Amino acid sequence: MNNINDELLNKYLDDELNQDEKVLVKISIESSLEVKKRYEALLKAHSLLNSIKEESTSIDFTKLVMKKLNNKSVVAQQQKYFLLSILSLLGLIILGITGYVLYQVISSIQPIQSSEVVTTYAKDLGDYVSNLFGQKNLTIFGSVLSFIMLISGYFLYDYQKHSKKNFSH
Amino acid sequence: MIGLVYMIMKNLTDVEIIESVKKGNQADYSVLIDRYKNKAFTMLKRMLKNEFEAEEVLMDCFLKAYNNLNTFKFESKFSTWFYRIVYNSALTKLSSVKRKIENEMSSVDDLHFLQSSYNADDLVKEDLSIFVKRIVNELPHKNAAVVSMFYLEEMSTEEISEVLQISVSNVKVILHRSRNLLREIIEKRNLFQEVI
Repeated sequence: MNNINDELLNKYLDDELNQDEKVLVKISIESSLEVKKRYEALLKAHSLLNSIKEESTSIDFTKLVMKKLNNKSVVAQQQKYFLLSILSLLGLIILGITGYVLYQVISSIQPIQSSEVVTTYAKDLGDYVSNLFGQKNLTIFGSVLSFIMLISGYFLYDYQKHSKKNFSH
Repeated sequence: MIGLVYMIMKNLTDVEIIESVKKGNQADYSVLIDRYKNKAFTMLKRMLKNEFEAEEVLMDCFLKAYNNLNTFKFESKFSTWFYRIVYNSALTKLSSVKRKIENEMSSVDDLHFLQSSYNADDLVKEDLSIFVKRIVNELPHKNAAVVSMFYLEEMSTEEISEVLQISVSNVKVILHRSRNLLREIIEKRNLFQEVI
């Protein structure tokens, strides 16, 4: 009867034993004072653990979490607008450059036969673009674009850092 | 009016509330917070042994859960998914604190260190339920988590194993050890009559 270990008693309590094992444990509890005492103590432990109440957070906990969530939504929206404005600015710069190139090409072309218009435009545009993005000009364009991207990147990083700081408080 | 809406929301299931939040009703998330905050807080407090840190971590858990609500596919219960966030966040917190070492040292195989630290005189001084609460609060973090989920949240051992990412048999071993610890204290101090 003494081979009724704690594991078996726990399983008996949780109703995890098969019929034969249940009978064996039940008989042991009824016949052995030592097993009975152990089982009763286990039952008491179980009921004590069951009786422990949950503890409460601070009263304004829910409000605080919801406030943080709201702040986060606002920050996310602001970040979205910021990124959109940066992308719009870059788009405008590219559009401006393209417009300027086209204007220069069109204004430099003399009136010619309509059949040759497309060919001439294409040739002149090609020449102009290759001149514009020649070794010297390409460096200038590259530098300007890199500068713009660096500035944007810095502001984006700074903005995100600032937002994160706000969010964590 | 707001109170009435809240009362209606309070009766909804987790799934219904999540669907509403996903549709853009952010305010409905407060119902889920109210539903789980105290139980999760109790578990965190027992794991971290610190009330302030428990509340801080819990706040992060609710924010994390909200941010990842779109990844929740309703394949498991929300409670299981949320408690996994809570448990992992507690582990992350513990790993950043020296306490983890102490905790792991005390969780080696037996819990006799706890048994010897309490004597019958403690019982004379305080109510038995407080005495038991004190013992539970001093359990190693994994035992504390299992006991909280099993007795407070009334989760099955299968759900607990999903949260802790360990086998069901391991969950049972942890649960039985925690229960045996209390049983041995009751037995040794002969507390059968005192227990309510």
